[in-house]
Amino acid sequence: MGALSLGNVTKSFGKNRVIQGVDLQVQDGEFCVFVGPSGCGKSTLLRMIAGLEDVTSGDVVLDGVRINDLAPARRGLAMVFQTYALYPHLTVRDNMGLALKQAGVSRDEIRRATDRAASMLALEPCMDRQPAELSGGQRQRVAIGRAIVRRPKLFLFDEPLSNLDAALRVQTRIEIARLHRDLGATMIYVTHDQVEAMTLADRIVVLRAGRIEQVGPPMELYRNPANTFVAGFIGSPQMNFLRAGPLGLASHTLGVRPEHLALSRESGRITGRISHVEMLGSETLVYVRSDDHGLLTVRLFGQHDYHVDEPVFVTPDDAHTFHFDSEGLRLR
Amino acid sequence: MRLRPHVIVFLAPAVVVYTALMILPLIGTLNLALFSRAPDGGAVFSGLRNFATLFGDPRWSGAFWNALANNAWFFLIHMLVQNPVGIMLAALLSSPRLRMAAFYRTAIFVPTILSFVIVGFVWKLILSPIWGIAPGMLDAVGLKALFAPWLGKEEYALTALALISVWQFVGIPMMLIYAALLSIPDTVIEAAEMDGVTGWSQFWKIKLPLILPSIGIVSILTFVGNFNAFDLIYVAQGALAGPDFSTDILGTFLYRTFFGFQLQIGDPHMGAAIATAMFAIILLGVCIYLFAVQSRMRRYEF
Repeated sequence: MGALSLGNVTKSFGKNRVIQGVDLQVQDGEFCVFVGPSGCGKSTLLRMIAGLEDVTSGDVVLDGVRINDLAPARRGLAMVFQTYALYPHLTVRDNMGLALKQAGVSRDEIRRATDRAASMLALEPCMDRQPAELSGGQRQRVAIGRAIVRRPKLFLFDEPLSNLDAALRVQTRIEIARLHRDLGATMIYVTHDQVEAMTLADRIVVLRAGRIEQVGPPMELYRNPANTFVAGFIGSPQMNFLRAGPLGLASHTLGVRPEHLALSRESGRITGRISHVEMLGSETLVYVRSDDHGLLTVRLFGQHDYHVDEPVFVTPDDAHTFHFDSEGLRLR
Repeated sequence: MRLRPHVIVFLAPAVVVYTALMILPLIGTLNLALFSRAPDGGAVFSGLRNFATLFGDPRWSGAFWNALANNAWFFLIHMLVQNPVGIMLAALLSSPRLRMAAFYRTAIFVPTILSFVIVGFVWKLILSPIWGIAPGMLDAVGLKALFAPWLGKEEYALTALALISVWQFVGIPMMLIYAALLSIPDTVIEAAEMDGVTGWSQFWKIKLPLILPSIGIVSILTFVGNFNAFDLIYVAQGALAGPDFSTDILGTFLYRTFFGFQLQIGDPHMGAAIATAMFAIILLGVCIYLFAVQSRMRRYEF
């Protein structure tokens, strides 16, 4: 159980409206990721669901119950914070068991629940240590364990990987995905990193300035972005936006992903000069400056021998282009 | 590491000032305590005889233990009233729902910067049975029967003065604890909210353990401050620390002995012996704190 529904939810800080009426249904067992740039309101929305921020208007409904005015602990959800937010004076076991202890659960029951969570997260050797004695990755696993122990209907993750280093981030990401499979619980996950969003989500919610721009499965957003914002946000490196006029097209903007631009020394539709080359081994990113379209990113597979300042030609693959109007909306 | 010349140059000012103002006077005091006044007015070396007098002579030792016991009571009142009240005020101040928090914070802290002379004098006026406002105020709420000339009664005077001192200095623990409470990250408190640990249980289970190191600092500052106290008693009760020495603490006892008062002739050597004893008491207290308490306490990184 754990179906969440947001009905025209808004949030204002004084006169400043940061969430502008959000409607969203999250199915039971779904992994839903909120993405967007800083200040888009994704964390605020998560904190409103958690009950850490008041809802200015609208309905937050979990399993058919309106939870707007319930205290955070009584909503049946658990949250994992970016900064772990562990209790520094308690051992790992007590950190994980505090919520149950507060709820008056018996000592044996708490022990069973914490042991179960510890074995899921490979935390058994650390149970009697304090958070200060743990590494960053272990601390974040304890924070996740603290959420698991409560058997919530809904897990909330607020940028849980942002404080970890790159290698650990990938590892913990996989762990969270595995956890979602094992527990089958509903999870809402906030991140500004589109790679995390793409790899974890069943469904991605792209937010901008307190509004939902588009909702859908990762590949749906990748293949069918509704506007230039979503098109630019999903996919890495970012989509190129070309001016349609100089190419003789009717639309306003042409979107082409870097892998769908062909690069040639001999001929092509757009002329430019190479401004930078990044060799990654498996792929080569070539940045081409063109007078008509600004800086374009071309992604080539394998290793290629291009040099800065070389004059080149770039040609978009017409089978893989996106057309947008002057408002940035997709033309189909 | 080799002591390079510039290291010595940079350390010198602090070492010189600290030596001149703290170490030399301390050694001078210890030295002074080892001499006695000779009949011709000079000083003769007398070893530990001053200490033998202080602890052995019934009159001297009676006065000393009286002052020490009073001082301990004075300290106890601060620990039981000033610090818990300071913590409570800090907890209230850090509540986000409190309006005018800055006003309360300032109002409660202001007495701390007042002169002892003003505080002692004002409270003497307030509590005076003849022209004070305390009897009238109690009368206004029908509690006049409770009034007693607190500063004039042996059984109440010391407690009354300790509470006056608490009133004056409660702002200091409040500020230190308030700062410690502010340093607890919001997310830890939010995690507690999510876990259902709210209100009082949040204070006892989360906040209090995290501010324990600051409470330790407050305690040791209180200890040192109380055992060095002098001014308030002197202003309110005079150097005789009446009634009948019932408010005599080590500071007033030292002052009377060292400088003399009324018919008592000052004796710098006996005074220095008392000062040395005070130094030993405070040193002992601080050592117990540092080795037994502080070393077991850990500061939490968040």
